[in-house]
This record gives sequence, structure tokens and C-alpha cells, in this order.
Amino acid sequence: MLTIIQKLASLKFTLVGMVLLGVGASLSYGNPTDIPVWVLVVPMILLVVNLSAAILTNPRINQQSGLLVFHVSLLVIVILAAVGRLTHMDAHIELVVGSVFARQNLQEIKSGPLHGGNLDDVSFVQGPFSVQYAPGMQRGLTHSQVKIKNKRGEWQDKVVGDDRPLIINGYRFYTTFNKGFTSVLTWVPDEGEAVTGTVNMPSYPLFEYKQDNRWTPPGGDEIKFWLQLRTNMDEKNAWVLEQGSSSGVLVVVTSANRYEVPLGGFVQLGNGRLQFDDLRMWMGYRLFYDPTIQWMFFVSIAGVMGLGYYFWKKMNVQPWMVEASVAETSKKMMINDNHSTKRNVAMEDQS
Amino acid sequence: MNGIVSELPWLWAGLGAYFVATLIAMWGVVPRFAGVPFVKTKRHEHVVMIFLVVGILLLTMAIAARWIRIGHGPWISLFELLVSQLWSLGIIFFLLYWRLPGLRPSAVVVLPVMWILGSWVLILEPTASHFPATYYNSWKWVHVGLGKVFLALLLAGVGLAGVMVLRRTQRGQRWFSSMPSDAVVDHLAWRFMMLALVFDSLMLIAGAVWAQDAWGRYWAWDSLETSAFLTWLFLAIGLHVRLSYRVPTWVSGLMIIGIFAMAFATYFGTPYISSAAHKGMV
Repeated sequence: MLTIIQKLASLKFTLVGMVLLGVGASLSYGNPTDIPVWVLVVPMILLVVNLSAAILTNPRINQQSGLLVFHVSLLVIVILAAVGRLTHMDAHIELVVGSVFARQNLQEIKSGPLHGGNLDDVSFVQGPFSVQYAPGMQRGLTHSQVKIKNKRGEWQDKVVGDDRPLIINGYRFYTTFNKGFTSVLTWVPDEGEAVTGTVNMPSYPLFEYKQDNRWTPPGGDEIKFWLQLRTNMDEKNAWVLEQGSSSGVLVVVTSANRYEVPLGGFVQLGNGRLQFDDLRMWMGYRLFYDPTIQWMFFVSIAGVMGLGYYFWKKMNVQPWMVEASVAETSKKMMINDNHSTKRNVAMEDQS
Repeated sequence: MNGIVSELPWLWAGLGAYFVATLIAMWGVVPRFAGVPFVKTKRHEHVVMIFLVVGILLLTMAIAARWIRIGHGPWISLFELLVSQLWSLGIIFFLLYWRLPGLRPSAVVVLPVMWILGSWVLILEPTASHFPATYYNSWKWVHVGLGKVFLALLLAGVGLAGVMVLRRTQRGQRWFSSMPSDAVVDHLAWRFMMLALVFDSLMLIAGAVWAQDAWGRYWAWDSLETSAFLTWLFLAIGLHVRLSYRVPTWVSGLMIIGIFAMAFATYFGTPYISSAAHKGMV
């Protein structure tokens, strides 16, 4: 049994695994869609087996604390990455200013089979936001205000944006380049109850030239909307995108007519009345959840510290400018040491 | 000075100082001049150090002048990246040159490699770059700083690798006759590679933390991440090959040069040819 484990711990096996991993990473260059993830997973499994065996049987690793910490960390990182993929969640959501986060509005959800986060308890309200632009339409800082509930159940203001995510229950919400305007509309049918909702227009200013969308009222024909916006947008100078300094007219196009509806106005259509109640903005967030990331950070730092400690010890024993014979002897011993797992590693340090 | 942006004169002067340091370092290894008292007493090495320091100071001025002109540090464009690397590589190589006198002749390899960057920067336009929102993150300093140390350690290793490879020729043997034996040079070169592995690992960790903050994921196998990982893997393979086999010193040298070439492509190629989000600027 021990012989099999020793064979699995071979450094040559390590090299094969590393080369295969290199090939897999090269094939994955640029994330091509036609390359399966197995080109990375198979070499990693080989290396995990090899590394586990080496940790158990190779005294160069398991009798030198620094190297041991480094190699165990590598193993734990791979395990954590696997756990992370099984428990993660990635999604996107567009939140209109004034609306409350609701998980049913999440889009493009990707989650691991063992995802068990507490998303139902995540609650926050989207507040106003602003996005700075430098001359030449270069996007700058995003300041997105949100209201979150603290432990006492009171609402608290918080500003997030760009590299400052909103973190609730381990779920991280990142603002994205995706944001725009929305029309708050009320449909008052001739018979029945009025309904109020929002129609999000495409991302702004990316699709500034096509701020349109469609909606079909209950029991009616499809309506086309086009939002004529007035914002601070300036292609040559710095400007700020924000709801407060923006206004717009809603152009409503039915199969028969075209209407221009100002803010607060309405238009009478075939079977009801459409009111343009408000012009607001929506912010696109990326949601990320992975319970392993903090562990991954601490383990990787511990691993590098272990490696650093090993090198520091090694370099402390032998000064930088050594005699040729010492260097040659040392190298010879290192090679012999790797070929014979029974050799006492202390000998190398004594050299 | 009309038409010349403020940093260019400092840059040209800094590169000029590096050029003089390169010439003097080369002069110092040519056997024909070995008897000249200035070389015999190793005083030329002090002059190399002086010109390196002058070059570093002038490049510091170039970076400061550009920072004042465009409002942010050298983080974004290839021009900025090259100037910044010339500056940091200069500092770290100067420290090694100063502290490890036995390795000084390897400057004949190191400084011309730096001149690849120096020549390259001269043909680039110093146009102002946009500072992306994700670059306000403090981890940028950690990631970039560790990356600079990593590349400088690789460069020091390449200097010694170059010595081992050049020693395959008679001229190389004459040039580097004052340096320790190949076995010692090889031993030292891999010490630099070991240290490089530590700093490369730390750089990747800091980069992952920054990527998590900036793009909401710590690792996505984008072009630059894949390239950086391959560099790390090449380094690890190199160290394990050396542990497993008796590698001739010139092969060992070629391995180090190969690892450096990969790192060079990662730093100065991938971010500017990739269309992925992680391309040095977003």
C-alpha cells in the first residue's frame, strides 16, 4: 500500500500533472466556449492525488514545516475552489430607484447544486444613484445609495458602487455598467382595477439612440414606447448621469396613432388610459455568492507564508555568495534526497 | 518645448543615463580593457551604480511630471506601464547590483533586456489615459507593487541565466571569467526564481482580491489571468524539474529565460491584445 502511495507521490508524476494543467490552461485561454472544463479538472485531480500522496510520504515535504504548510494550502485551495463551485450563486438584477430587492426578479441565475445561502432574508431598497463621466464618454465613479436594515430592524443608508459591493448575508451586489431609465406607468382600464408598473428602457448612455420598449396592456394590443430623454450627456466634456437632472417625454405608438405624453400626462387608448406617472432610473447589479472566498484568501496567504519561511530558512543556512563546492554539494544532495524518501532531510540543512 | 509633453525630456534623460550605465557595464567585461586601472580596481562598477541612480531619479521625475499632467499614476496605458517598469526594475536591480558585488557582470545581460522596454517606450505616444473607476481600489498598489518585485527578481535570474548560456561560447567565458562557477551562478539564479515564486504567488492573491472587488469574481480564466497562471506554473515546473533531474547549467539558464519570456508576454503583451474585460483598463 505504502509503495503505491510512494509511486503516486513521485515528482515525475507532479511534472506530468503540471504540464497537463499548463496544456489545459492554454486551451482555456480567452475562455473559448468549445473547450470543456475537464481540460482543467482532470490535471487538477491528478495533482491533488499526487500532492496528497507526497504530503503523506515525502519527508522533504512533511518534515519541513514551511513546505508542508505550502503544499497543504495548495490542496485546501483546490478543495475550497470545488466547494465554492458547488455552493456559489451568480445572477443579475435590474433595480428601479425606490424598489425593494426581490429574489424573483433575478435574471441569468447560475448556482451550484449545493447552494444553501439565505437569499430570502436579503432586503434592501434602491435609492438614487449617480455615474460620473470623463470627457470622451469614459465612465467614472458610480455612487449608488441603498437602504439596508440593520440588526435592530432600522433602515440605514449606505453608498455602494464599482469596487464597493453591498454585502448582505454573504451575498455581494456589485453595480455594473448596465443602468438606464424607466417609465413608471399606470394603466387604468375602462373596466377593472388600475395597475402601476415600470417599463425599463435599454442601458443608458450605451443605447442612448434606442430608448424604446414594448408592452401589451391586459386585453389590448401591443404598445410601443420611445423615451425622448433630456440628460446632462456631453460627449466632449465631463458630466454626471443622475435622475434628478434628467427629464423626458414618452412617445406612445399604437397600431393607429402616435402620442407624445409629458411627465404626469396621460393618453386615452382603445380600452383604457395610460398615465406616465414618473421617470426614474434603474441600476443593474451583479450578484455574487461564494462562502469560500475568505477562507481561500487566508489559506493562500498561509501557504505563501509557509513557502517564504522555507526559503528564508534555506537561504539563512547558506549565504547568497557561496563557494562553488558548497553549491554543487547542496544540489547533489537535493537530487539524491528526492530520489530516496528514506533519507533524513536534516542532512541537507546541515550541508 | 512646444508639442513635447512634460514627462518626455525626463524620460529621454533617464533612458540616456541607463544607456551610459549599460555601455560602462559592457566595457567592464571586455577582456581587452581588463588591465585598465579603472576596470581593474572595479571603479567602473561604481560609475554604473551612479548612472543607474541618476536614471532612476530622472525616471521618477518623468513619472511625477506625467502624474501631474494627466492626474493619475502610471497604471493604465502601455507607455505608462513601460516607464513604470523601467523605473522599478532599475531600483531593484540597482539594490541587487549594490548588495551582491559578485553578480555585477550580469548587468551586461540585464541592462540590454531593460533596453527592450526602453526602446519600446520611445516609439509609443504618451497620450493621456482614462483612469477607470475600479482603479481607485487600494489593492491595486499591493498587486502592482508585488508584481514589480516579481518581475525584477525574474530579471535578476535572467541576468545569471544569460551568463550561463553565454558561457557556452569562448567570448562569453572571457567576459564572465570574474564571476563564480556555473554551479554557483545556477544556484543563485534559482534562488531568485524561488523568491520570484513567492512574490508571484502574493501578486496573484492580491490580484484576485482586487478582481473580486472590481468585477465581482476572483478568478475567471480571462486571458491575462490564464497567462499569469501559466507563468506561475512554468516557474513551479522549473523548480520541480531542477529537483527531479540533473539539469545542465545552460539548460537551466534556458529554462529561466523561457519563464521570463512568459512573464514578459503576460506583462506587456496580453493586457493590450486581449479583448476581455481584464485588459489593464476597463
